[in-house]
Amino acid sequence: MDIARSIQSIDFLTAFSESVLAYPIVLSIHLACIALFGGMILATDLRLLGLTFKSLSITDVVTSLRPWKRIGGTIMIAMGLLLAASEAEKYAPNPFFWTKMIILGLIGVHALVFRPIVYSKTEELDRSPIIPTKAKVAAILSLCLWTAMFVMGRLIAYWD
Amino acid sequence: MLLQNAVGDALNNTEWAFALAECVHIGGFAVGVGSIALVDFRMLNLGLRYESTGRILKYTELWTVIALLFVVFSGVALFLSQTDVYRVNPIFPLKMYVLAAALLYNFTIHRKVAKMENPPPLLSRLVASVSLLLWVAVVFGGIFTGFLV
Repeated sequence: MDIARSIQSIDFLTAFSESVLAYPIVLSIHLACIALFGGMILATDLRLLGLTFKSLSITDVVTSLRPWKRIGGTIMIAMGLLLAASEAEKYAPNPFFWTKMIILGLIGVHALVFRPIVYSKTEELDRSPIIPTKAKVAAILSLCLWTAMFVMGRLIAYWD
Repeated sequence: MLLQNAVGDALNNTEWAFALAECVHIGGFAVGVGSIALVDFRMLNLGLRYESTGRILKYTELWTVIALLFVVFSGVALFLSQTDVYRVNPIFPLKMYVLAAALLYNFTIHRKVAKMENPPPLLSRLVASVSLLLWVAVVFGGIFTGFLV
């Protein structure tokens, strides 16, 4: 709790959470990222499952969307950190917030596990007559983890 | 009038119903607006550049329609659960106007230009930018509605 209090007491963050407009603006940007970049995650996952964009190779879909997903993810995380740091005392005991952070960690693990065998091996996936199971597992896990992210995110406000 | 209604009662009497409606709302716009964003990015010559805008529209249009239906239905349910609150909220009507504009725009001008064989690049970029701006404005409207409750 002391750590939380000292985080949110940093001048800049205090000013931030006291500003009537700053917090909702940052939250809006955070959600706008879902709107703008969520479709890219969906497109990648559905392509890995072989359900859509079939005229495009997996390589094309993954590589062309990758830089935008990274940009979107960076903005999203930056905004999220700002939100959490400015309300550190409120978020510190919130189980929904910590569950969301754990899921974010799992998303990181997902990347570590599947990048070497799926995401950087898209040519191999394209050459295969049917899409290998590992790619489909990666896609389904990705969809589940990201859905859990926004559900937990929404539930943060319900804890009191 | 609408103060007491069946949908509102359902959302207010079951603890998780309101939260569920909100999650459907968010998931809906993630897919609905996200699929529109894929087309918009392509019209800006970004993202899925290995395919034509028309093809990308073809792949995504059903997702867009179905997801936006979920957004609208969940939105109506949320509204009905607190009509008195929303009706005096200064931002909510603005959100609705922008939403109406975004929907209308998406299924008229945007659709037309997205399907064009060889649109002037400037036109594509303009149409896509307006689309993205409108939808981002709706998201902002949603958050600010909540902050003024």
